[in-house]
Amino acid sequence: MALVEINDIRKIYRVGDQEIAALDGVTLSIESGEFLAIIGPSGSGKSTLMHLLGCLDTPTSGRLVIDGVDVSRASNNELSAMRNAKIGFVFQSFNLLPKFDVFRNVELPMVYAGVSSKVRRERAMEAIERVGLMNRLHNTPLQLSGGQCQRVAIARAIVNNPKIVFADEPTGNLDSHTGEAILNLFRELAESGRTIVIVTHDNTIAARLPRRIEMCDGRIRDDVEAPTSNTTPLVAVPKEVTAL
Amino acid sequence: MNFWFGLLIGLKEISSHKFRSFLTMLGIILGVSSLLSMFALTEGLARGMKEMLYTSGGMERVEVALKDPSEQFQELAFLSPGRTMEDANALRKGAPLVDLVSPELSMGMAVTRSNKTLRIGVTGGEPEVLEMGRLKIEFGRPITRTDLDRVSRVVVIGPSVVDELWPERPGYIPLGEVIRLNGIPYQVVGVLEYEESSFSKRRREAGLDAARAAQQMKRLGKVDKKYDPLVGKNRAIIIPITTMFYDFRSASNPDLSPNRKLDRLCFRVADLALFEETINQVRTVLDRTHRGIDDFGFDTREEWADAIERNVSNSRTTGGLIAGISLLVGGIGITNIMLASITERIREIGVRRAIGARQRDIFIQIVVESGVIGFIGGILGLVVALGLVRILVMLSPAQNTAVITFPAVLISFGFAVGIGVISGLYPAWKASTLDPIEALRYG
Repeated sequence: MALVEINDIRKIYRVGDQEIAALDGVTLSIESGEFLAIIGPSGSGKSTLMHLLGCLDTPTSGRLVIDGVDVSRASNNELSAMRNAKIGFVFQSFNLLPKFDVFRNVELPMVYAGVSSKVRRERAMEAIERVGLMNRLHNTPLQLSGGQCQRVAIARAIVNNPKIVFADEPTGNLDSHTGEAILNLFRELAESGRTIVIVTHDNTIAARLPRRIEMCDGRIRDDVEAPTSNTTPLVAVPKEVTAL
Repeated sequence: MNFWFGLLIGLKEISSHKFRSFLTMLGIILGVSSLLSMFALTEGLARGMKEMLYTSGGMERVEVALKDPSEQFQELAFLSPGRTMEDANALRKGAPLVDLVSPELSMGMAVTRSNKTLRIGVTGGEPEVLEMGRLKIEFGRPITRTDLDRVSRVVVIGPSVVDELWPERPGYIPLGEVIRLNGIPYQVVGVLEYEESSFSKRRREAGLDAARAAQQMKRLGKVDKKYDPLVGKNRAIIIPITTMFYDFRSASNPDLSPNRKLDRLCFRVADLALFEETINQVRTVLDRTHRGIDDFGFDTREEWADAIERNVSNSRTTGGLIAGISLLVGGIGITNIMLASITERIREIGVRRAIGARQRDIFIQIVVESGVIGFIGGILGLVVALGLVRILVMLSPAQNTAVITFPAVLISFGFAVGIGVISGLYPAWKASTLDPIEALRYG
């Protein structure tokens, strides 16, 4: 069975006496280990889709199964637990807690998971090492560059070993070089077997991912697999950029 | 999310907005300090009144008071001999629930030593008069039964009397000296202990110079008479009751016959639990000696004690209400700041929700934060209250200075923390019910 199965999902918002269908019958499945992009112009429903997949919201109708758990009618607490255990988020504006240092930020999801402080320490270190920020352990986000912040956010997203990581415009606030480095980091994570979904409106990014789901007006317009692009990056990235 | 982590976050929030947090706490600080000062004041009030009750003999002491006989005995009133030594003797024999009886005479007299003359009330009593009035001998000896039997001209005087009669010799112990009462020489055989109210003792121990001067003056009997119930005790002059009879009462009736009536008759109830029974027993005995004429009543301290309780609980309620209002205002201040603080942190709350914080976790975080504000405000409030009470002790002119008790501290502090937690409830509820998607989008 696929990691994510969604079946004829609808999400309808009520604005005044008007009903707006943000999602209008979406059916989709994502296998474990996939690296894919959801693209589309603003208002296409891609964010709404990500919110549903990310267990931030429940659909108005339809079935949504993530890792074998039907979350289409889940309660608020159940959604929190799903997000905590199975889902990681990376945001365009990083969304780190400004008063906490790198270590505390990365540790946070495990605090809500009730992990003991010893294990928290070990796993946070592992994740921070994975994104190459061991030398910035006790800096606060304000003392870091944008690229470094996004690395912290990625470390935070993977620290609980989620089944799937959602990245919402992860390179949107970064310059192109740094954005490349972040994309490469995602690629590495994907190659090590993690399921990663990048939501973007940037076609050049989406074009380089193995799978591309194009949204328009609340429906899937296109679902393209590009098997070759998985092997080599299209743009050569200098060493010093990856080291950021 | 555990409690300690919430506490850590709370402390972090507070320390990153030190001045704002301090302003928020100010309401709680004022509330707690006024609550505790109020407790301290009423406690001081209660202690002052209880001390007064105690120094004048306590609840156990009952005085047999004269009153007009009731209607049906009006015509027969002359049959009653009034309060006499017979009453005292009858009570000693016939009222086992009474453990001390003290018949007393009293007269204002001219007390003379060389060229010094004072006008002081002199008490003629039996040895029991000391215990009844809670007086203690410091030097010499008390009045004894032998003095009564031999009708000795001996006198026991209070320390203030010594100071006033021998002003040129401070600290003199005038045992064996002779003073004249209305011209008749009496030998001083005992000096009473100086009694100091716990109030002036506290002030003296606090090292207040002004207070020491005041106390010096008080020893000379010149100031503060209306505030200090102990002045009477320190200025007491006691002679044997029999001597008083023969020297001053033998021909004091208009027809030159001796006036056998007592000026005062006090007894002590052995067991306060049997107060009513004791009073009834005494009434039965005195009915016999007064030939059935009800020309006596009882002057008990029960009403006094009740009045103390009532006064204290009244001022506690009023003061508590006022302090409670300031605490409430402090609480509203916390609610207000917490609401502002969560509005500032909507995005942070969204992030926390996105990475798996449950509504409950957010709720706890906010409540712990405001609880910490209450906690720290409470501690600061207690410190302020300690200073405030010290100032009150120094300034207060009355007997009833403030006393801080441990339960009062506990209650005030508990209120601070409680108010902190309660004021956090609404902001916490608001924060925890934010929609995570909206919150992430905010700002």
